Amino acid sequence: MQRARIFFTGVGGQGTLTATKLVSLTALDEGLPVTSGEIHGMAQRGGVVESTVLVGYMSPKITHGEADLLLGFELLETLRALCYLKPGGVVVSNSQALPPLSVATGKAAYPELEAVRAKAQAAASKALFVPCRTLAEQAGSAQSANTVLLGAACAVGALPFGMEALERSVRKYLKPALAETNLKALALGAGAAQS
Amino acid sequence: MPSPLLAQTPGETLLLLGNEAIVRGALEGGVGFVSCYPGTPSSEVPDTFFRMSRDGDYRFEYSTNEKVALEVGAGAALAGTPTLVTMKHVGVNVAADPLLTLSYITAPGGLVLLSADDPGCHSSQNEQDNRHYARLAGLPCFEPATAQECKDMTRDALLLAQRTGQPVLLRTTTRVNHVRGPVTLGSLPAQKTRKEFARNLQQYVPIPAHSRVQHRQLLDRLAAIGREAEASPWNKVSGQGTLGVIASGVTRCYLRDALLEEGIEGSVKVLDLGLSYPMPDGLLLSFMEGLEKVLVLEELDPLVEEHVRALAQRKGISIEVLGKGEALPLWGEYSTQMVRQALRQALGRQSHAPQHCAPEGGLAMRPPNLCAGCSHRSAYYTVREVFGDEAFYSSDIGCYTLGLLPPLSMADFLLCMGSSVSTGSGFASASGRTTIGFIGDSTFFHSGVTGLINAVHNDHDILVVVLDNRTTAMTGHQPHPGVDATALGPNPRKVEIEPLVKACGVEHVITVSPLNHKASRKALEAMKALKGPRVIIFQDPCVIHERRTTGKGKPQVAVAAESGQGCLDVLNSLACPAFVKEDGQVRVDEELCSGCMYCLQLDKSFKAKKRGA
Repeated sequence: MQRARIFFTGVGGQGTLTATKLVSLTALDEGLPVTSGEIHGMAQRGGVVESTVLVGYMSPKITHGEADLLLGFELLETLRALCYLKPGGVVVSNSQALPPLSVATGKAAYPELEAVRAKAQAAASKALFVPCRTLAEQAGSAQSANTVLLGAACAVGALPFGMEALERSVRKYLKPALAETNLKALALGAGAAQS
Repeated sequence: MPSPLLAQTPGETLLLLGNEAIVRGALEGGVGFVSCYPGTPSSEVPDTFFRMSRDGDYRFEYSTNEKVALEVGAGAALAGTPTLVTMKHVGVNVAADPLLTLSYITAPGGLVLLSADDPGCHSSQNEQDNRHYARLAGLPCFEPATAQECKDMTRDALLLAQRTGQPVLLRTTTRVNHVRGPVTLGSLPAQKTRKEFARNLQQYVPIPAHSRVQHRQLLDRLAAIGREAEASPWNKVSGQGTLGVIASGVTRCYLRDALLEEGIEGSVKVLDLGLSYPMPDGLLLSFMEGLEKVLVLEELDPLVEEHVRALAQRKGISIEVLGKGEALPLWGEYSTQMVRQALRQALGRQSHAPQHCAPEGGLAMRPPNLCAGCSHRSAYYTVREVFGDEAFYSSDIGCYTLGLLPPLSMADFLLCMGSSVSTGSGFASASGRTTIGFIGDSTFFHSGVTGLINAVHNDHDILVVVLDNRTTAMTGHQPHPGVDATALGPNPRKVEIEPLVKACGVEHVITVSPLNHKASRKALEAMKALKGPRVIIFQDPCVIHERRTTGKGKPQVAVAAESGQGCLDVLNSLACPAFVKEDGQVRVDEELCSGCMYCLQLDKSFKAKKRGA
């Protein structure tokens, strides 16, 4: 069996933990030995949210240089978490920004997409940047940006299961009213990854 | 639909959070009473019980603080009901007084205390190791490492407590509370066990003559449980070799993965300590036989390590004991990498530094922040306007602690839950400086009210500001005695803060909405002119909680009609997260704006408009 460590990073309120749970549930349904970790507490108040999914390991934690896949739900947070990636790992990230307060008030600068891309490419064997919010709006709801990212990661073979399994989970675990939008979001993410 | 956690479906596998698994384990152990004070990382345990409480066969309560939670739980267990009491690690300090005597008098119905420790301070003011409480109070201690173990150990802890009457400590850490993994369910008991209380003064009333005897009885009970620990399935030996590793809690996960990645599974002898107190000395001695070295893995304090060292010395065993040191610190969390490093050192292998790109320096930080429209932000803003840097600010534990960040900068010191009033009193008394203590509503009920009574009794010169947002916002909107409604419906017996403050003997009390700038300013100016203990209650509901309970937000949003200096000044001094500065202009993000309309009162360039218009 292939072991895998997946590191998720995003901003409170983006659905990072929902995406983490969806990946864990899909892995469980596929019969994989999955364990997952999340740190709550400050999540609701605009802080950084980090979580993990591990297949074939017992520990729920990932340290620097250990992640096979880095899933970045926000561009700046992808850059911040890049040190968790093992050399030659895969990065799949949102290319769009949620500026922190210091940037919004003009006290700090936000990194350029191209600079983040260059750094990710230097560290990873593959680094993919997808405009998740734009595609999510196309799918019908900005809230499905997290599913766009999962679709992209799945399409490049970075998740330990295929697209069909992920689609099955969206139908099974999300509220029926949200399933169609999120299936569309998955497909748009996958399309963006392949183009 | 009732929760799957309440279903009689043994053999089914669910993906559960460690905290949800604890709930199921308690149900499988026949729990009939649950009390708590919420606190991360323990909060989802009581929250899950609360949500299921209409369908479940148990009594649940959010208590006003941890001491009360344990005392109420002790009463239920004395009356014969299997009981779970939950709190975070610092909460056990609050509950320590009843805890150390409860272990003398016993709890015949069975009582398990969950202490959720937080190595690494993910959301806490310290990282104390609560396994010390097991030794201090005489509590058998279970330390789960996976979601499955969270369930199974909670059940076994409750069964042990019921069988022996000895209260049991279930010690988790943040990583374990917030692990998510597959859990195979066991069966729920068909019928609850409820013992009858049999009057026994010698046993249950600890006057000195009785306590002296009870202490020795406690030691006898612990010795008997220690003998059970020798054969407990939670303490197991695997592998072989001349290097032994003893691991407890979540370090058992790191060890398993480290052995796997080093390719030395099976060639190191491992002792998993799941029931980690009382120590199984016989098992430890037989484990050490034939070993050259033993490495002890445990987060925070070296309790097992020192015990093993002392045991080897007492028995004249020549063995090298490795533990805390360069690779394994006394602070923070362990990791698979750290354990790999310690294993390599013990085996005399070269160190293995993982390759990774250097953490990026100088990035814009993203600290947690008071929400857009948070009533604490406007309260702080007005206090700063009136008192500025002249006053000293005594803070407390809650969302509002986030007001420490500039530009609000509303925290000069902070000790623990409920300390703002009393520590502020002492500070004012010793320094003679204007001192303001901030305290949330839940914290006020928790332990702020005693500090206020003290301030009245000793005539301390302190302005207490109660930031009353009508819920316990920090830990996930749990109810407290003053709330209007809970997730399960209206609160029929509300304890109002203002009459309570008056009843404490405070002469000057004003309740005002912090979203009303003019009225807030007036209240603060009035209080500034007075001396002695005085209280302002800034009352306005938590914006997130209100939106969730009513299902609708405020109808209007703010817009920056023109972006002049006044607008920039508000951005810089209020720092509402709904404001964005773009090319020197201020814009209000409509999706983030809660519609509190506070900024409109500060500068005329902000206007109201209908949401979505």
